[in-house]
Amino acid sequence: MAILEVNDAAVSFGPASNRYEVLKDLNLKVEENEFVAIIGFSGAGKSTLMSLLSGLQKATSGEVLFKNEPISEPGPDLGIMFQNYSLLPWLSVLENVKIAINAVQPRLSKAELDEKARHYVKMVKLDHAVDKKPQELSGGMRQRASLARTLSLNPEVLLLDEPLSALDALTRSELQDQILNIWEKDKRTVVMITNDVDEAVLMADRIIPLTMGPAATLSDEFKVNMERPRNRHTLNDHPEFMRLKSEITGFMLGLNQESKKLSGNVVPMPKVTPKNFAPPVMSPTFKQNPAPVKKSNNVA
Amino acid sequence: MEFTNKFKYTLLKAIDLSGMTFLSPVVRLCYGEEPKVQLQKIGQWILVPIAGVFAFLFLWHVTSGSVKTKSGTLPNPAQTWRGYKAIDAHANRENLKMEAYDIVGEEREKMLAEAKQQLSLVSPRVASTNKAVTKAKEAIDQDTKALIEPLDSEYKDKKSGFKSAALERKNALILAAESLPTGNVEAYEKFLAEVKAAELQNEADKDELSLLKKEIDTIREVKSPDVADALIEQTLAAEEEQFLRKKIELLSDRNRAIQVEVATGKIVDYKNEFLSLSGKEAYAKARSIAREQSRLTKMGESTYAKPATIWYQVKRSVFCVFTGFLIGTAIAVPVGILCGLNSTFMAAMTPFIAIFKPVSPIVWLPIALIVVSGLIPDPDNNPFIEFLWDLPIIGVYKINPAFIASAVTVALCSLWATLANTALGVASIDKDYMNVARVLKLGFFARLFKIVIPSALPLIFAGLRISLGVGWMVLIAAELLSSSEGIGKFVWDQFNNGASDSLAKMMVVVFLVGIIGLILDRIMIVFQRLVTFEGTVSV
Repeated sequence: MAILEVNDAAVSFGPASNRYEVLKDLNLKVEENEFVAIIGFSGAGKSTLMSLLSGLQKATSGEVLFKNEPISEPGPDLGIMFQNYSLLPWLSVLENVKIAINAVQPRLSKAELDEKARHYVKMVKLDHAVDKKPQELSGGMRQRASLARTLSLNPEVLLLDEPLSALDALTRSELQDQILNIWEKDKRTVVMITNDVDEAVLMADRIIPLTMGPAATLSDEFKVNMERPRNRHTLNDHPEFMRLKSEITGFMLGLNQESKKLSGNVVPMPKVTPKNFAPPVMSPTFKQNPAPVKKSNNVA
Repeated sequence: MEFTNKFKYTLLKAIDLSGMTFLSPVVRLCYGEEPKVQLQKIGQWILVPIAGVFAFLFLWHVTSGSVKTKSGTLPNPAQTWRGYKAIDAHANRENLKMEAYDIVGEEREKMLAEAKQQLSLVSPRVASTNKAVTKAKEAIDQDTKALIEPLDSEYKDKKSGFKSAALERKNALILAAESLPTGNVEAYEKFLAEVKAAELQNEADKDELSLLKKEIDTIREVKSPDVADALIEQTLAAEEEQFLRKKIELLSDRNRAIQVEVATGKIVDYKNEFLSLSGKEAYAKARSIAREQSRLTKMGESTYAKPATIWYQVKRSVFCVFTGFLIGTAIAVPVGILCGLNSTFMAAMTPFIAIFKPVSPIVWLPIALIVVSGLIPDPDNNPFIEFLWDLPIIGVYKINPAFIASAVTVALCSLWATLANTALGVASIDKDYMNVARVLKLGFFARLFKIVIPSALPLIFAGLRISLGVGWMVLIAAELLSSSEGIGKFVWDQFNNGASDSLAKMMVVVFLVGIIGLILDRIMIVFQRLVTFEGTVSV
C-alpha cells in the first residue's frame, strides 16, 4: 500500500489570464519504508513538489494522498526539511529542536525534553554548537540543525529538500550514512530531493527525474537494484552503479539539451566530453596531485 | 594575554551593545591595535565633537549678550552654570534641613554649634556684600547723574521755550482772527492755513521733547554689570544666611526631639497641677492634658515638610514618563499585533489611528485632566490614591490626578509609533517561519508567542524607542500645563518667579531634559539590540 500518493496533480501560480504552470501531470506512489530520490535541475520546481507533498502547497488540480487520505494541511507526520533551513533566528540550535519536540510531544518533562533535543543535535554532530544562534553558524551547520529539527519530529515520512547541498564532502558522506542509518533502523519512508546523481544512487531505492520547468513533470523512474548496505568506497567500481550513473546523467543531459532546443536561444558552450562510465578494463590507479605552484606574494 | 583579550572582546561587545561606539577605538588603542587607524577614529568621533561643543559654548557666550529681554539679557554659559549650582544648592539645603529636623542628642548639639559657627562667618559677608551693592549703585548713580544733568537742563530749557513760543503763536492768531474781513473767503482760507501750520509746529515740538526724554530714560535704565555682580554676591550671601538661620531654628526650637521634650514636660506640669484641682478647673486641665497628648503623638510621627527639589522633580518626571509609556505600550502592542495579524481589523483601525495620531498633547491634556478629576473628585479621601501613597517605593511621589492626567497624555501621544511598528513587524513576518509553525501545527497562542512576537520584537522595540522619546517631550509640556510636580512645573515656576536668575535656571532645564532624554534613548537602544537577530526587517 502506498503511504504517499500523487494522482494527476498540477500546481500553477498567478491569475487565470497569466497562469504560470510549475508542475503538471504529476503521478507518484511512494511505498512504506521506501527511499525515493527525486533528481532535477535547479529551477525545475523541486521545492514546489516538496511543498505539495508536505501539504504546505495545495494542488491546483489532482490530489495528494497520505495514507489514502487527502492532505488537508501540513503536520509533523510529513516532516519536511526546508531547503533554506527556516531556523528561527532568535532561538539557539537546541531551542529550535526543542520547539519541534515540544510541538509533537507536549507532555515531556523539562529534563526529558532537554535530553531528547540534545540527542538529535548530537546525531547531526552539532553538540559543540547547541547554544549558538543560527546567525553564528555556517551554512552547513544550519543545514544540519535544520535536519536535526526535522528528525526530532519523528515523522512517518521524511521529506528532505536538498538536505546536504551546503555541506563539505566529508560531513556530507557522514550525514548520508546517518540518514540511511535512521531510515534503516526506524523504517521510515524518505523522499529526498537532490541534484547529485552519486548521492541518489548511493541512497535511494528508486530515482525519479523531474523534467525541466516550466510545467515540469516526473518522468520514468530508475530502479536501483543494489544490495544494502552499499559501500561508498567500493561503489565506484560497482557495475550497477556505473550503469545507473551513466544512464541517469545521460538522461539529464538529454533533458537539458531538449529544453534548450525548446527555449530556442542556443548559447555556445565549450566542448565538453562527458566521462565515459563504461566498465573500465583495468582497476583505477590513483594519481598524485601535482604539487601546487607557489605564487610569489608581494602583498605581505 | 588570553584573559586580557577575552576582556577586550567583552568590553567591545558591551560598547557595541550600548551603542557608544565612539569608545571602541579608545579600547582598541589601549590594546595597541592599529594605533594609526584608532587615533584617526578618536580624532573624528571624540575630538571633533568636543571641539564642536566648545565652538557652541563660545558662540553662545558671544551672542547671548545681544538678546535683551525684560528680565535681563539671555544668560551666557557661566550664568547658566551658576543657575545650576543655585538649583543644586537649594536641593542640598533642603536635605540638610530635613536632617536637622530629625537629628537628636549630642549630634544635634554638635551640629547646632557648627551651624552657629558658620553663621558667624556668613554674617560679616552679608554686611560686606550689602555695602558693595550700595557702593556700586552710588558709583553708577554718579555716572548717570553726570550724563543726565546736561540733558535734563536742555530738556527743561526746551520745554519752557516751546511753551512760550506756542503761547505767542496762539495770541498772534487770536489777534489776527479778530480783524478777519467777513465774507472774504480767501482771507479765511489763509487764516485756516496759518492755524494748521501752528498746530503742526506744536506737534513737532512735542516729538522733540519726548525724544529727549527717552534718551534720558535709556541712560537711567542701563543696568551696570558691576551692580548685577554685586547683587548676585549679595543674594548668595543672604541665601546662605537665611538657610543657616533656618537650620539653627530646626536644630533648636523647632527640632522634633526638642518639641517632643517640651510637650512632655508640659504634660508633666499639667498633671501635677491637675491633681490639686477640682470642679470646672479640673475638667479644663484634663482637657488640656488630653489635647497636649494627642499633639505629642502627632508630633512624634511628623516629618520635615520638604518642598520639591529639582532632583525629586526629575525622579518624579522619569517615573511619570514610564507610567505613561507603560500604559501606552499596554494598549499599543496588543492592538498592533491584532492589526498585523488581521488585515480586516487593520482596515477598521486605520481611520482612528490616522485621526488621533497627529493630535497635540496640548489638546489631550485638558481632556485627560477633566476626565481624571471626574473619576477622582476628592483626591484627599480617595481610597485608590491613598493606596498609591502607601506603596513602598512609589509612595513618595504622591501620585495625584495631575500626575495621572500627565501620564495618560504621554500614553496617548506616544503609543502611535509602537502601534505602527508592531503592526508592521507582525505583518511582515517571514513566510518561512509561518511554514515552520504550520508544519509543527502550533496553536494560535503558541504561534503568537513562539513565532509571531519574537520575530516582530526588533521592530516593536524600535517603535518603543520612538515612543519613549516622544513621551519624554510630551511630558514636560504636560507637567507645565497641569502643574504636576516635575521638571515641567519647575520651568513654569521659574517663568512665573521672574527672579534675576530664573532665565538661567530655565536654560539649565534645557540641558537636564536633553541629557535625561539621551539616557532614556540609550537604554532603549540596548534593549533593541538585545532582541535583534540577523535578517531583522528595518524601517
